[in-house]
Amino acid sequence: MASLGVKVMRPGLWIGLGVMIAGGVLSLATSAAAETHVVEMRGFEFFPAEVNVAIGDTIVWVNKDVVPHTATAGDGAWDSGLMETGDEFSLVVEDTVNVGDYVCTFHPTMVGVISVD
Amino acid sequence: MFRKIFLSCAAGLLAVLGASSANAEDGGLNDMQIAHIAYVAGQIDIQYANIALERSHNTDVRAFAETMLRDHKSVNDAALALLEKLGASPEDNPTSQSLQASAAAKRAELKALKGAAFDRAYAANELAYHQFVNKTVEGTFIPAAQNAEFKDLLGVALATFKVHEGHAEALVGKLGK
Repeated sequence: MASLGVKVMRPGLWIGLGVMIAGGVLSLATSAAAETHVVEMRGFEFFPAEVNVAIGDTIVWVNKDVVPHTATAGDGAWDSGLMETGDEFSLVVEDTVNVGDYVCTFHPTMVGVISVD
Repeated sequence: MFRKIFLSCAAGLLAVLGASSANAEDGGLNDMQIAHIAYVAGQIDIQYANIALERSHNTDVRAFAETMLRDHKSVNDAALALLEKLGASPEDNPTSQSLQASAAAKRAELKALKGAAFDRAYAANELAYHQFVNKTVEGTFIPAAQNAEFKDLLGVALATFKVHEGHAEALVGKLGK
């Protein structure tokens, strides 16, 4: 009965079902895809100060200030090095080693946090 | 030591503000004069930082001095870029000259010191210097600036120097008396 039911579906319904399935697959693919999070350095602060990510996501820091900054893990596990105005630094969050507090080593009051879902 | 440095800076800045007042009576500081003073103030701190890097072995002092070098150079470069864009040139004036004279005396004082005494004197001077520069930029220069872009840049510079002031205060506390 079930197969008969399928057979009698009008072409329009087949198309609709196809769209629904494709949409579902696309949705799954989107939710599983890595995201990119942008953190701006401006006014001697990280914006946002805390970024929540999933493993595999990428964080991109952009220096919008007039002076150089760094984004450096509190435990030294990663370090952007000196970032001039307009420079960008990307970090792929591969595992939990990359999470936690980070700072600008030039301006110790600039602190940020990476947390993982 | 800190009191002596503080009073020395106060005397220098009072001379600066006195010169500013004199200019104000003649119609006030113009943007190009303010730009010159701000540029000179940055160069003076770069010179202090160079002395620190020559004389200090303290990791915190050296890191602070390197930050002063980077940041003041960046701010001054931004100021020069803006002036170039505006087709203007900084204008020397009595206030800039007073600042330079006070700084020369301070450099001589610092160069006569070494070790922990130098570190403390350098940090105390940085704190006092940034406090007075910030007060001048915020209370005199920004209100007087006419060009909107220049006024904005002074605001950016002030934000930078306030961070330096906080950093210097922390350094003074860490080095102790």
